[in-house]
Amino acid sequence: MTDTPLIQLVDVTKTYHLESGDFTALDHVSLEIGENEFIAIMGPSGSGKSTMMNQLGILDVPTSGKLYISGRDVAEMSALERTHMRRDAIGYIFQKFYLIPLLTAYENVEYPLILKFKKRDTTGKAAALLGQVGIDGDMSAHRPTQLSGGQQQRVAIARALVNDPKILLCDEPTGNLDSKTGYQIMDILCGLHRDGKTVILVTHDPKIAEYAHRTIRLVDGRIAKS
Amino acid sequence: MIKGDIFFNLSVRSVRLNFLRSMLAAIGIVIGVVAIASMGMLGTNMQLEVKDQLSSSANTIVISSDTVRMGPPGFTPSSSTASGVTRSELTKITSVVGSNGTVIPIYSTNGEFTISSVAGRGSIYGIDPDDISKFLSLNKSYGNGTMDLGVNEVLVGSTIAEEFNLKVGSRIKIGSFSSSSRPELRIAGVLNPRGTVADGVSTDNGIVVNSKWYTNQYGGENEWSQVNVIVNNVDNINDIESALDAKINTNAKTPAVRITDATSQLETETATLSTETEFLEAIGAIALLVAAVSIFNVMMMSVSERIQEIGILLSIGTEKGEVRRMFIYEAFILGLLGAGIGGISSVIIGYSVVEAMIGTTAYFFQPSSILYVPAAMLVGVVVCVISGVYPAWRASNMDPIDALRSE
Repeated sequence: MTDTPLIQLVDVTKTYHLESGDFTALDHVSLEIGENEFIAIMGPSGSGKSTMMNQLGILDVPTSGKLYISGRDVAEMSALERTHMRRDAIGYIFQKFYLIPLLTAYENVEYPLILKFKKRDTTGKAAALLGQVGIDGDMSAHRPTQLSGGQQQRVAIARALVNDPKILLCDEPTGNLDSKTGYQIMDILCGLHRDGKTVILVTHDPKIAEYAHRTIRLVDGRIAKS
Repeated sequence: MIKGDIFFNLSVRSVRLNFLRSMLAAIGIVIGVVAIASMGMLGTNMQLEVKDQLSSSANTIVISSDTVRMGPPGFTPSSSTASGVTRSELTKITSVVGSNGTVIPIYSTNGEFTISSVAGRGSIYGIDPDDISKFLSLNKSYGNGTMDLGVNEVLVGSTIAEEFNLKVGSRIKIGSFSSSSRPELRIAGVLNPRGTVADGVSTDNGIVVNSKWYTNQYGGENEWSQVNVIVNNVDNINDIESALDAKINTNAKTPAVRITDATSQLETETATLSTETEFLEAIGAIALLVAAVSIFNVMMMSVSERIQEIGILLSIGTEKGEVRRMFIYEAFILGLLGAGIGGISSVIIGYSVVEAMIGTTAYFFQPSSILYVPAAMLVGVVVCVISGVYPAWRASNMDPIDALRSE
């Protein structure tokens, strides 16, 4: 393993300025995540899980402290550089799938490729990935609303993988699925971890967290146990 | 290029998904485009028609006295010695023109007349019978008349003939109703319609009498209201005018006569019509402004309905510029829809309006008229795109986290 961790949080604090006063969602958190780790982040609601995910997904920047991804200080990157890093280095898997409703399943998977290469996909990568997650050609022509929850999450996983990101951020990926489908999704994620991806999983389901090799427990914005 | 663009596809699908709303907004653009295009075409067709009519007398120079004749016909103000073009001025004109054109001296006034006890009013022109056929023509459908007017004969204009249901041989009494003597004349012919003319002889609502009869009735012999010069070669018109000016208007401060032609009258008429056209187009522009507000409104609705989608796009790595582009495309599509339907409607409605208001569509497909359609369409599309700029900017500057959370 290299000296520089893939993700490094140094004394990260995130404070929200609310009308009722300042609210500290993350309180001096330091954490290192290496390549090919499988990490679960757990904690009760309001513990800072979502804030942590937003930081790791560079949708937000710390109020204080440093966040490095692949050795780069996120706060020093321009908005466009952060956008490109989200596009190329991170794959997002959400509880509510968040597929683009106006696009078909195939187009949803193809979309990040178009963002990156500024042209339609001719390599067949999007179709191949859909096949890998168990979505056949017939289904990939459907809009998200015409698919079941499990199918939508498979499409979302294919979309997250299409630009070959190092990091997979999964925010309650099984939260909207029945337990059987949930385990199928977890099996896919485990397979991806075996293939070398760094998987970061936010969940409050201890059974799901068991898939991870390391569990980080957040309480009131602090790491209670790592 | 644009067709393969995924953001363009997204915009097309969004418009299709909200088809009714999009169409209602586009109707505003349709109305605006139709208003601007048909008003503009109407004005241009008017201008072209007037221009054409005036240029039929483009070869005519009109020379009139610079002193305005005041008082009733035949009355010569004592303070002014000149109340028309004089005999000596006519001699000068004839000598300057020489063989380059035809000189036609014309008396004219306004007067009342009676036809089978119905009173009318119009211009009365006194012209030498030899000169009449040089620039006027007869309408034979009212009977075979003659232009070789006897002293007690008269030619009537087309409008009068139509209104009073006249034919060759009918009688007309000339003179004020209160006047004791109202001489009766025989109608020797009906003239063809002339429309708007630049030579000062608008016969449509007038009558032409023998110049001898005219001076007998009204006096003022050898003081012509105007002298028309029909030049043989229209290219020489400016040279002849300059020569006339030099010969007759010897005193530059108080010129004896005014020399005009179709060009100067055309300028006045065109200026008036342009002002009217601009006014009409301003009304069309207001319609487009209203349309712009409704497009803006629809775009804002589209943005606020798709906040979560915008959040997804931004969070998975879509650039702000790409989100902006998607919404600008949407406005562009609405504009294209509106301008397309508006353009087709403009041709149909514009054609009907021009036909109804001007009576001829001969000029409709001339470039200066029909080009109003693409121009108005372009304006419609541009207005739409501009209306979409702020909503697009707002969409692209959303915070992805907030946007994702919104339901």
